[in-house]
Amino acid sequence: MNEKKMRCIKKRSCSLFNAGIIIAMLLYAELMSAQKFDQKKIKGTVTSETDGQPLFGVNVELKGTNQKTATDADGGFAITARIGETVVFSYLGFVKEEVKITDVELTIKLKEDLKALNEVVVIGYGKSKRKDLTGAISSVSGEELMRTRPTTIDQALQGKVAGVVVQQTSGQPGGGANIQIRGLSSFGSSSPLYVIDGVIIGQSYDSGNGTNPLATINPSDIQSIDVLKDASATAIYGSQATNGVIVITTKRGREGAPKITYEFTTGFQEIIKQYPTMDLREYAKFINDRATVWGFDERPEFANPQYLGEGTNWQNELFRSAPVKSHSLSLSGGNDKTQYLLSGSYFNQEGIALGSEFTRMSVRLNLDNKTTDWLKIGTSLQLTHIDENVNSTGSSVIYEALSQTPDIPVRNPDGSFAGEQSSEGWIAKRVNPFALALINKNNPKRNQLFANFYADIAFTKNLSFRNELSGNFSFRTEDRFNPTYKFGLAEKVDNDAFYSYSQDYFTTFRSFFTYAKNFNSKYDINVLAGHESQVSQFENVSAGRKNFISDNVTNIGSGDIQTATNGGTKGENAQESYFGRLNFIYNDKYLFTANVRADGSSKFAPGNRWVTTYSGALAWKLNNEKFLKGSKIVNELKLRTGYGLTNNQNVRDNAYLTTLGSVSTGLSGASQITLNLGNPNVEWEKTAYGNVGLDGALFGWKLNFSVDIYNRLTDGLLLQIPLPAYAGISPEYSPGVINSPYVNIGSVRNRGIDLHINSRNMTGDFTWSTDFTLSHNKNKVLKLNTDGASLPGRYNNEIISQTVVGGSIGDFYGYKVDGIFATASDFQNHALPTNSDGTVLPITPNSGGVWYGDLKFKDLNGDGVITEKDRTYLGSPIPDFQFGLGNTFTYKGFDLNIFFSANLGNEVVNAMRINGENPLTNSGYLKSLKDHAELALIDPNVSASDVNNVYVTNPETNIVGFKNNDSNRNNRFSDKYVENGSFLRCKNMTLGYTFPSELIQKAYINSLRIYFNVSNPFLITNYKGMDPEVGSWNPLQAGIDSGFYPQPRTFTLGINVGLTK
Amino acid sequence: MNSIYKKCMLTFLGILALTGCQDDFLDRPSKSEINTENFYQNRKELRLATAALYGGKVWAQWNNSAYLPLGDILSGNFVLQYQGSDLVQLNTFTLSGSNARLTTGWGALYIIVAHCNTTIKAITEKTPASVAVKDKNAAIAEARFIRAMAYYHLAMLWGEVPIIEDNSKLIQSPLINKNKTADVYRFISEDLIFAAENLPSTDEKGRVTTWSAKGMLSKVYLTMSGLGQSGGSRNQEYLDKAKMYAKDVIEKSGLTLLPNYANLFRTQFNDNPESLFALQWSATTGWMEGNHLLTYSPSVDINPQKGGAWGSPGTSYDLYLAYTEQDSIRRKATFMLTGDHYPELNAAGGGYTATSPGLKKHIIGNEADNNSPAMSYIGSIEHNALLRLADVYLVYAEAILGNNTSTSDPSALLYFNKVRERAGVNTVTSINADDILKERRVEFGAEGQYWFDLVRLSYYNPQKAVDLLSSQRRVLFDYDATSKQATPKDPIAPISPATFATFTLQLPDSEVVANPKLNEPAVPYY
Repeated sequence: MNEKKMRCIKKRSCSLFNAGIIIAMLLYAELMSAQKFDQKKIKGTVTSETDGQPLFGVNVELKGTNQKTATDADGGFAITARIGETVVFSYLGFVKEEVKITDVELTIKLKEDLKALNEVVVIGYGKSKRKDLTGAISSVSGEELMRTRPTTIDQALQGKVAGVVVQQTSGQPGGGANIQIRGLSSFGSSSPLYVIDGVIIGQSYDSGNGTNPLATINPSDIQSIDVLKDASATAIYGSQATNGVIVITTKRGREGAPKITYEFTTGFQEIIKQYPTMDLREYAKFINDRATVWGFDERPEFANPQYLGEGTNWQNELFRSAPVKSHSLSLSGGNDKTQYLLSGSYFNQEGIALGSEFTRMSVRLNLDNKTTDWLKIGTSLQLTHIDENVNSTGSSVIYEALSQTPDIPVRNPDGSFAGEQSSEGWIAKRVNPFALALINKNNPKRNQLFANFYADIAFTKNLSFRNELSGNFSFRTEDRFNPTYKFGLAEKVDNDAFYSYSQDYFTTFRSFFTYAKNFNSKYDINVLAGHESQVSQFENVSAGRKNFISDNVTNIGSGDIQTATNGGTKGENAQESYFGRLNFIYNDKYLFTANVRADGSSKFAPGNRWVTTYSGALAWKLNNEKFLKGSKIVNELKLRTGYGLTNNQNVRDNAYLTTLGSVSTGLSGASQITLNLGNPNVEWEKTAYGNVGLDGALFGWKLNFSVDIYNRLTDGLLLQIPLPAYAGISPEYSPGVINSPYVNIGSVRNRGIDLHINSRNMTGDFTWSTDFTLSHNKNKVLKLNTDGASLPGRYNNEIISQTVVGGSIGDFYGYKVDGIFATASDFQNHALPTNSDGTVLPITPNSGGVWYGDLKFKDLNGDGVITEKDRTYLGSPIPDFQFGLGNTFTYKGFDLNIFFSANLGNEVVNAMRINGENPLTNSGYLKSLKDHAELALIDPNVSASDVNNVYVTNPETNIVGFKNNDSNRNNRFSDKYVENGSFLRCKNMTLGYTFPSELIQKAYINSLRIYFNVSNPFLITNYKGMDPEVGSWNPLQAGIDSGFYPQPRTFTLGINVGLTK
Repeated sequence: MNSIYKKCMLTFLGILALTGCQDDFLDRPSKSEINTENFYQNRKELRLATAALYGGKVWAQWNNSAYLPLGDILSGNFVLQYQGSDLVQLNTFTLSGSNARLTTGWGALYIIVAHCNTTIKAITEKTPASVAVKDKNAAIAEARFIRAMAYYHLAMLWGEVPIIEDNSKLIQSPLINKNKTADVYRFISEDLIFAAENLPSTDEKGRVTTWSAKGMLSKVYLTMSGLGQSGGSRNQEYLDKAKMYAKDVIEKSGLTLLPNYANLFRTQFNDNPESLFALQWSATTGWMEGNHLLTYSPSVDINPQKGGAWGSPGTSYDLYLAYTEQDSIRRKATFMLTGDHYPELNAAGGGYTATSPGLKKHIIGNEADNNSPAMSYIGSIEHNALLRLADVYLVYAEAILGNNTSTSDPSALLYFNKVRERAGVNTVTSINADDILKERRVEFGAEGQYWFDLVRLSYYNPQKAVDLLSSQRRVLFDYDATSKQATPKDPIAPISPATFATFTLQLPDSEVVANPKLNEPAVPYY
């Protein structure tokens, strides 16, 4: 290599290249060190100090290297090392021991570690040792969470915790996920309560696209996530917790030298799958064929489809490979008085859809101070700024891409954006979505502050008093501007802008006493009593203007003042609560917990405001009984059982009152219109909740399991009542309709099983551990106090789901397809559809009739005609089973983590096919539409409307033929669009390498890990759409894929560096 | 600090913290919405509550989805081919129970009913005694007038429909029966009588008065006179009532026809003295919160924001034939013929020249033409009238004609001819039922009236009504501006023959599914 070339490379070299060189050098150095020749084979045995029994599977590691092994069944091990080096012995449940090698024979006695067995779990207003739990609580450590490199926390919970169902409501950056714990217990939101370092995230944040509250938290700040599932665990949180509680605890500083960690990731995302749409040749042939049947003029440019090109593939244009990167830095440390953690992060992700982007910057400060011997104070503070571009994701981008035709180019030859040129007047002009994604602005920004301050006062050794003041403050702006344009014949002549500002304050003040004492070392007692008050306030203001002088000056004040519109709302609600808990343990064998909480909510009428939540639980530690004590197989075994009554207040503010709002009229100015109808009798939803669980650890803690069976019975289910149209009252928005009152309408039961198994399959140099979760939930509606006892769910004004007593919430409901009318005998043998007055449709190709190529629907009630009575249940959007399977392998410094998740037994409505396989529409044609029913004449000289002169050349198809009317209502909701939504998704694969500390210490680095991560590497499913994982906020309209933003495949490369002073 | 003292203090503080909040901590009244508990307290608030019933969201669905489709397309005056099969079905009498116009129209009218009922109930229950009875009754009367308008449309379109007076009762028992048609009309007339007795004789522009109620009463009684009289003659008692109320309005209200017919449909003349009940639209861009009739415009060039010309109803050949050549004032204000020039539409751009025969009425031009910058194509500021004095004139003439074959009654002729004179057409000396029906069709073309005129006829002479529909040329036509020749086109789809049943719309499928009791025979309300 000559000098010139060298200089050239130096100039071009990037940090990545340098990093590569460093890594290579380090690897080389390690290789060299391993070849030192004064090494000896060191042998030894490890036993328990308590009973002298040999310990099997103890980790034996040569300190500062990647050399590892494990003890055999007799406690024996062998390792190659030099005299003077240190060997580290670690084993779950025992104190870690470091032994300096002085001889080739070692005998090690490990002490039992009470601390390690005392894994601490957050239980609400306190902590408990996991072994002393009586309720169903699952935990995920921050470390485990970070293996999947999630953008937001909710994405990472999927499959990790049994009983928790996570469904993405959008795969867009920072998009929401719908989380349910143990089934749907409400017709409204069934989402759990989130508590982040004591800050309650109000349910008002529970909304869809781009406003995910959990998106504001930097996942690498998380210490642990505890999921409180059954009533005995959640009752202490009272009425807000009927759907479970997710408690997130962030990392805090520890006494010791400052610790600095820096992490950098970079990667990109891509779309996994596309819809197969017609290319230009297929499109032209289709349009030509249809024009012939319809008697329309052919489009001259389509005269010879075979000479046309591919045309525009709008999905290719609108989706891209999009970069994602993050930096995070954290500093922590402290002395015996004060501990601190300060962290900052930057995260940027461009969406796979053009015109979508998500940027998050956050700063966290956690402080703890032991002020005096009786006072401890501290704070958790997090400030987050989020900047998004939701220009193409605000509306459905997939739908947009599919509603374009391939004959329209993206750009004209001169570089300007192209548009529709066809002047067929009756087709609405479609606007170039590629251009819109680039020229429109839709930019929401958020600043969010989570803050918690606490003061712990210790009166005596046993009695303490804690005060917490916490707040969740959110400030949001939304800035939209739509400029003028002319793309082909599609034109927008007025530009317009919209700007809004909103702020939400959620403040909580709580104080509680805790008394804990052990009597005679047999009786453990822990009592909690407290008070809490919460106030939630929101206010917003918005403004709009049109006719801006220039498309470049988009500030709202620059628009025409005469077009100004504005709006704004304010509101608040409050809750006050008293709570108490008693934990009692006898002889470390029998455990008892009782919770009680009284909640008062401003949402109800004064007489209905207060409600009491309670629960009780018993647990029995079988492993501490004589018959199991000292067992080699069973290390831990605990039987838990609990029962409780929880309450829910899933209603709007002031739901008991009828409210009015201002509207303008042509009369003198404003007027007051009735908006909502109140129900003075509305009250709390009540859930009776039973749970039985068994936790165990077997074979030297190699196999851990936890299994729970539960039964939740919710009564007084709150619902905005749906009524016939003549009521003028509806829960769904329709202009002028009065919003339905909330009524306690029915009851629903959720029964299920949660199973979590953790097993350490191999230990030693090569380790392999497996985590498996299984969740099964059966949802059944037991009672509906409506006449007719059914609740419809609609899509495009058509009923697609029906919730009835005996069924599950949101079951799909419609017709069954039985092929197409293909032969003359079909019209005689098969039931024909009717008009709503009962008359059978005539057999004719003309409007009002049924004809060849129309769909045959099954006559399920056997009355010889097709009416709405022939509809039936077509499956449920709720999976029967959900699985999670994680495998972790380590070898020396390498670690490999593969995580799968799977759904079984749910259905998805592929709504894109409703339009895409309909020959009557004007866009969005899928390739499958090419197989439409093709009609032919037996005798070309006989009339084409003679039923005996026509046949179908492809009678097996179930895609309808060309007909200029839809009298048969072929698109009525049927099983044709209901697909099996089961899938197996490889959710994540991570390969990492941790450098030996001995090596990197020379570079003053404490720890160094590099990793490569692929999320969503593959998906196995029969579903024909992009992604069968379709979340929804409305359980009556769940499982509908109407151009859903799919989860991308993401490749990430990351580096994590730890520094000590 | 003494440690025992310290601990006592702290314990005291702790107990203080646990004692809870003030009693009113949980009282959190809404800050952005008024509720019925603290509203309807004075006359001003009653007026604010009733003002909402005149337009906006309350009327938007009816006005925008069903007003012209059910009034003028179903009756064969206009043909709209290109907004989906729902509108084609209206033209070809192949209406299915899932037709969106039918379903929306039904729901839209009941939305109006729901708002009127809620307002009436709230005023009745919440208004304190400090408000004068006259003012309280006047407010209730406004709501009852508007409720009567909604039920009048329901009765004319569907006949037997459920009568709902208190919507909150539906929360407990939502599934109710239909009521008999005669009872629905009785309910309408009682609402209107209350309105006539309690509304003032003059009020702020746009508000209904006692004359509005009496005018509507005359029309309702005229309709009732034929109900159930399939033999061809009408109930004289009701004819006399129709005549009495019409005469009252004509002679005592002091109202007159607007001299220029075309001005009736210009926003500069909104709420003119001829208008007895007009929808009170304001400029808006809210979806379905305003008047969408500009979306029927033939061209985006003459619309606000140069947009929203989603489909213009084409004039039917049948309606074209209904206008004599002399009747050009009304014709040109109702529909355009190819080559017609309208200087007032996009005046700054030199006006508009029609390229095919289509709707003109309600097409009012752009923001500048109406001096309304905030106006949009989904927020037209035209206050389209649902009842105007000319209607009462023709009802009067028809009531006087009654069961006679023809009449030369001077009062009947006077007011019948006033309508014709204003239109610039020859006066007549004798009138019969056909004359009045024809006159109504050309006078109220594109005002959502003709279907109701045919239904009124079908009550007492169904065969004649069927024959009228059967003989219609419900097709589009081409018009040559130079030769002034009209050439009818083929039907847009085969037209099914009309039958007696055609005059009663079927109930929406979705409604029958939601409440199967609607399939049961109607029950009496009284």
